Amino acid sequence: MKIKITKAYVNDQEKALRFYTDVLGFVKKADFSQGPFRWLTVASAEEPDGIELQLALNDNPAAATYQQAMFDQGQPAAMFYVDDVQREYDRMKPMGAEFTMPPTKVTGSTIAMLNDTCGNLIQIVTLDRWQS
Amino acid sequence: MSNREKYSPGAAAGAEARRDGDRWTLVLVRELRHPPEKVWQALTEPEQLREWAPFDADRNLDTAGTVKLSTVGTPIPQVSETNIKRAEAPRLLEYNWGGNDIRWELEPLANGTRLTLWHNIGRKFIAMGAAGWHICFDVLDRFLEGHPIGRIVAGDALKFGGWQRLHAEYARQFDIEAIDHTPQPE
Repeated sequence: MKIKITKAYVNDQEKALRFYTDVLGFVKKADFSQGPFRWLTVASAEEPDGIELQLALNDNPAAATYQQAMFDQGQPAAMFYVDDVQREYDRMKPMGAEFTMPPTKVTGSTIAMLNDTCGNLIQIVTLDRWQS
Repeated sequence: MSNREKYSPGAAAGAEARRDGDRWTLVLVRELRHPPEKVWQALTEPEQLREWAPFDADRNLDTAGTVKLSTVGTPIPQVSETNIKRAEAPRLLEYNWGGNDIRWELEPLANGTRLTLWHNIGRKFIAMGAAGWHICFDVLDRFLEGHPIGRIVAGDALKFGGWQRLHAEYARQFDIEAIDHTPQPE
């Protein structure tokens, strides 16, 4: 048993694809369509064969309600690790990325939160280096 | 080996990608050795659609009005309520599927039917659509011949080697870049 894929609900798959690739910097991994159905995933450019993130259309009421509630409570739909939160913030900010939390030091890590333009908050995280 | 296992699609042929501004339409033509009346039934009757089409219908498509079409082979069937705009047996059928218009035209030939499908699928998926419909038409042909092999759609089509080749061939014909859809090895 392996963890190969995880999912984020989005309200617009085309817009999501642009944000997750152009702004966040992921690469498109799979993109299939059958009538109204579209299976769309992205992966990390640093780990193209790593875990995929499915950008699933929130076209059922439960998904839309869940997504909205998480957003309203400021809860991130996903968290991604980066080497340097401040550097990513400086890179994405001029691209128009809307940060709801600038780089912020918290216990054990530095985090920032941004709007993915498709109904979600995304958290980026840099873990503190532990000295042994 | 069953007829399904023996099946292998021929070369990409009979398809065209037409562009009108941002709107792309896939046009597929196939000649079938059966009269339009028989082909019409296969295009409209739910129990016949189940033999070859990428969707199920909750009623016969042979009259105008609303109908629910469900995708086959997706993790959860995606049901779209649609409208049969025109149903003129046995020559013209028009409806919408998942936001794309679909039009079927049946022309009688001396020994069968020339079936033309217009599908305004987006550019991104047009080669994929051509490969998918190509296989569906092969399966339809065998079904009409009285040797059904069972529909080959969605994941079944992707796993099937011929799909990858057809997809690449149609992408080349349409001069668009084919994305590698090779299923990941387990």
